[in-house]
Parts: sequence; structure tokens; C-alpha cells
Amino acid sequence: MRILIIEDDIEAAGAMSHGLTEAGYACVHAADGEAGLTEAGKGGFDVLIVDRMMPKKDGVEVVETLRREGDNTPVLFLSALGEVSDRVVGLKAGADDYLVKPYAFAELIARVEALSRRRETGAVATTLKVGELEMNLINRTVHRAGQEIDLQPREFQLLEFMMRHAGQSVTRTMLLEKVWEYHFDPQTNVIDVHVSRLRSKIDKGFDRAMLQTVRGAGYRLDP
Amino acid sequence: MRLPRLFRTTPFRLTLLFLALFAAAASAFLGYIYVATAGEVNRRADAEISREMESLEAAYRQGGVNALNQAIVERATGERPFLYFLADKSGKRISGSIEASPLDEFKGDGPSWASFKVTETDLDGAEMRNAARGVQERLAGGEVLFVGADVAASEGYVRKIVRALWGAGALVIILGLAGGVLISRNVSRSMQGLVDLVAAVQAGDLHARAKVRGARDEYDELAEGLNDMLDRIERLMGGLRHAGDAIAHDLRSPLTRLRARMEVALIDAENGKGDPVAALETALQDADGVLKTFNAVLAIARLQAAGQAPDQQSFDSSELASDMAELYEASCEDKGLDFKAEITPALTIRGNREFIAQALANILDNAIKYTPSGGAVMLRARRRSSGELEFSVTDTGPGVPDADRARVVQRFVRLENSRSEPGAGLGLSLVQAVAASHGGRLELAEGPGEYDGFGPGLRVALVLPRVE
Repeated sequence: MRILIIEDDIEAAGAMSHGLTEAGYACVHAADGEAGLTEAGKGGFDVLIVDRMMPKKDGVEVVETLRREGDNTPVLFLSALGEVSDRVVGLKAGADDYLVKPYAFAELIARVEALSRRRETGAVATTLKVGELEMNLINRTVHRAGQEIDLQPREFQLLEFMMRHAGQSVTRTMLLEKVWEYHFDPQTNVIDVHVSRLRSKIDKGFDRAMLQTVRGAGYRLDP
Repeated sequence: MRLPRLFRTTPFRLTLLFLALFAAAASAFLGYIYVATAGEVNRRADAEISREMESLEAAYRQGGVNALNQAIVERATGERPFLYFLADKSGKRISGSIEASPLDEFKGDGPSWASFKVTETDLDGAEMRNAARGVQERLAGGEVLFVGADVAASEGYVRKIVRALWGAGALVIILGLAGGVLISRNVSRSMQGLVDLVAAVQAGDLHARAKVRGARDEYDELAEGLNDMLDRIERLMGGLRHAGDAIAHDLRSPLTRLRARMEVALIDAENGKGDPVAALETALQDADGVLKTFNAVLAIARLQAAGQAPDQQSFDSSELASDMAELYEASCEDKGLDFKAEITPALTIRGNREFIAQALANILDNAIKYTPSGGAVMLRARRRSSGELEFSVTDTGPGVPDADRARVVQRFVRLENSRSEPGAGLGLSLVQAVAASHGGRLELAEGPGEYDGFGPGLRVALVLPRVE
């Protein structure tokens, strides 16, 4: 997996690059918007990480240019201490996800992972299958090892998201954003409570827990 | 050289310009009066001279030179105000009241007019040179006849008119200048207050305010506008200063703690003791806490600075309330709280969805945090009879004493009994900022009262204005 980091803060880019390399990604760094566009033009990247504020061409311009040229590489947009409008601007320009600096590294990795895998599941599936777990998206039923599991609508959505990102870490913020579709900062452990309810439904009575807690990051659904 | 201030003011310059235009108009006007009056006086004198000339010519036609001569002698000794002179063909004087014709070069082609001066002696014997006017004609027999008149009286009249006109012109200019000075000083005085105000503010006195004189004119409007602007700037600066102080105050202790922990961990690591990984994890948690506080303060400051929440749109707030109910119901059950939601459907609202969600989340967070197990939390979304939308959360926790209710909304204020709970004391401040940035307000009231060891509880309501 190759990642292009377009970020003018050399130190931040270095730390990001280091962490992503540790996580098994190959990173290329471009220090401003124009260099970033040149680098992106060479192709072969799985995810682009684009900073909002940059010399020469800012992040919004970079993403707009890429999209205009028909480059659909997933883009993770970065911005310092964001306002809601920053997020809206980034997503409108064509970014696929958005992260506010400073971020927890686990959050960055989880989002990059989600973006890099997104391309592989392009086909419209009617059923999802992760290990023993099977989800029918048409009649909205879930079975584990043939045993039906009764889920509330939100729990169903939560599990669907986890199944689509099986094997990847998903953070609490990602869950709030993608499942509940809110972008605020929950002060307490509201998401944990929902995940633990879901866990009790899909793992209770089975000898192996599928829904894992990833320390310092969030959760992961293992096959 | 700099002109005195008064003469540099815009009103004074405008007055000068106006005065120049006015003077030009007055000159034209006075010129017309001059032509109409002075011209008429001269014309009248000329007409009388012509009439006298005609009557003498009539005498000449009837009785020749002798009759004319007799008529002249008679008239010259009479009371008539005319001057006569009659000469023969060769120019030799025959008779008349003057010794010579004032017209030296007389060609004899028809009547010839002239203005001249006559020397007269008044009653006191003093000589006066008076303006006179006359006409000279060659008669049929070749004799030369001159008839003139002393026009000193009418000339004097004309001169008076001219003097009056000059006087009027001068008066126009003096009055114009005086008016200009007066208006300029009046305007300057009105402006001076504002100029002084700007100078004071520039010098750093943000408390300075313009005086509104109550004239309800444009200066008052300007003064009011400036005052409003200064109020807002002062409020914002006060807010920023407060936020800065608050950030410094609240971040100082966690940052100090963070630094100390890292230092200790470093010493331990150098000595091969302790668990550096655990120390780093704690440090990270501390850093996250600091950032969270920082984010909240920044969000509040931005909302207050903007005055209005960004990215407002119409949406169904009932749905939002239901989402929040669903999100927090699990937390309530987890803590053993009875949760209930009463949400009126289809409450359309205009606002920033994320900020309103954050506000409700903060209120619910507080309710869950401070209500002991076995208590109850209720979320309610409804339209008040006034049309305002109300999102309220009622809990059966210990509540907030009446005296402290205004205080808990302030930044970083945490009541004594809440210090054991996590949090930076920013939750309600943010709700308040969200309410204000939507034109609404935050209301705190007592909950359902005391029962079974619970209560009196707290009722926190986010009230947003009605949507037209």
C-alpha cells in the first residue's frame, strides 16, 4: 500500500510517515501543493493525505484539481483544529474523509486503512460475511453460525459498518460519524456502551469473541 | 503653513464653493438691476433733452434764427434746467447759457450726443463740476444748436444704486462667509466628539463612547453605530482575554502534570526502572485532555466571535433529538438510570446541526454524570406556545442551587461537589454559546423536586427561536 503525504509541516509529515511505515505502508512526502500534484500525477497511490493549509496550492485546490483530472484516489483531508465549515469545504472539494489536527495516531491509521480498503469492496453486495457472521442486507437479518441474532436498527447499522471494515480498527469518532452521522465530540463513553451491547448480542454464548477492543484506538471485528 | 483647523474642514470648503457659485449668481442679478435702473435714468434724461431740442427746432422752423434766438434767451433766463448754445454757420456764438459747445469736434451729420462736465457755482460760491449730457444738431440754415442738461442729480442716483449694489455684493460675501464659518463650526463640533472618540480608542481606551445628543440626526446615528461597534469589540476582547486567562489557568496544571510525569518517566527509564510505555500512555491521555479543553474553549470563543453559528440550514430537529435519545439511552441504562424521551415530531429548525447536537449531548452528558443510579433522566423536545423550540433535559440529581445557576454557565466554573467528576467545566458554556449563536438561550431551573433521597434535580433547557 502506497500513501502520498502532502503536508508542508516537515516534522508532522515525518512523524506521520514514520508511523505509517511502522504500520506497513510505503510513504512518499510532498512539501507543498504543487509538488503534491506532480507526485500524485505519477499515480500508484492507494491513499492521499492532504493538509488544508499549504504554500503554493492549498489542500482544497489540490483535491479539486485531482478530481477535475479524473483522479479518484481516496483523499484524507487534514486541517488544524477544525470548524464544521472546514470539514464541509474539504468534503465538497472531493475529499473522502476528514481529520482534525492534532489527531491520535490510531485515528489516522484507522481512517487510512478504511480508505485504502474501500476500493476493494466496490460491488454492491446483498450479503456480508465475516467468519461465522452473516448479514443479509435485503431482509436485514444477522446470523452467527446459523443462529439468528436479533438486532435493533442502530445495532444493525453498527454491525454492518464493522463488517464492511472487518479486520480493521475503527475508532469511536469514526463510528459516531459513519453510523450516527454526527461530527461532534462526545464527552463520555456513549459509543462504548453501544458497542458493548452489540458485543453481548453477537459474542454471547460463543466461545470466541469476534468484536475486539483495540487499546488506544477503538474496535475491530475479527473473522 | 497650515490653515487654522476650521478652514480645513470639509463643510467650510463646501461653503466656499457654494459662496463662489452664489457670488456669481448675485453678480448677474446685480448687473441686471444696474442695467435696468441706471440705464433707465440716463434714457429718461436723454428723452427730456430730445423733447427740448424738438420744441426749439419747431420755433426755428416757424421764425428762423431770430425766433430761435429769442426762445433760447427766454428759456435760458427761465427756470428750465437746460443748457443752451447757439452758433452761426462759422461756429461763432450767437446766444446761449454756456460760452462754448462742449462738443469740440462736431461734424454736423445729424444729432450728436455727448456726456460732459459743467462747472457750476452753488449758493455758497463753491465750484462744482457736475455731470451733464447734451445733443448738438446743425439746423437747416447751417446754424449749430446745442441743448444739454445737468444730470448730476440722476447721476448721483445711479451712483447710489451702484454703491448699493456693491454693498449688496459685499454683504452677500460677508454673510456667506459667516454662514460658512457657523455651519463649519457646528458640523465640526458634531464631528469633534467622534474624532476625539476615535483618538481615545486609538490611544487604547476601549471604554470611551461617543455622546449621543438626542438630535436623532446622522451624527447621532453615526455615534450610536460607533458605540455599538465599540461595545461589541470590547465584549469580544473581554471574551478573548477571559478565554486566554481561562486557557492559561486551566491548561497550566495539566501541562505541568504532564511535564512532571514525563520527566519522572525519563529518569526512571534512564535508571532502568519503571514502565516507560505506561508512562507514555498516561502522558498521551494527559495531552488528549489538554487538547479537549483547548478545543472546547476554542469552539466557544469562535462561536462568540462569529456571533452567529456557521453553516446554518433547515433540518428536522425532532430527528436530531431522537438520535440523541437513542445515543444516550444506552448510557443511562448502563448507569441504572430511568430514561424517557418525549419528542414532538417534525420540529423544523434553522441552525447548525452539529453544534445543536453537541449542545444536547453536553446537557445529556451532565445529566447522566450527576444523577446517581436509580434516578431518572428525561429528554423533551417541544414547541412552546410562544413558538420557540425547547429541548430540555430534566434529571433527578442533586441539582444546582439557585444562587449558582448563573455561575455554572461560565467557563471553567465547576461546583464544589462536582470536582470529583471528570470534565473541564466547559460543557454548559458551550451550550450557552451555541444557544446565543442561534439567537436562543439556555435556561436552568429546578427539576422535579426531592423524593426518595433524590432531587431536587435540574432542568436544563435549550430554547431556540421560532422559525418563520
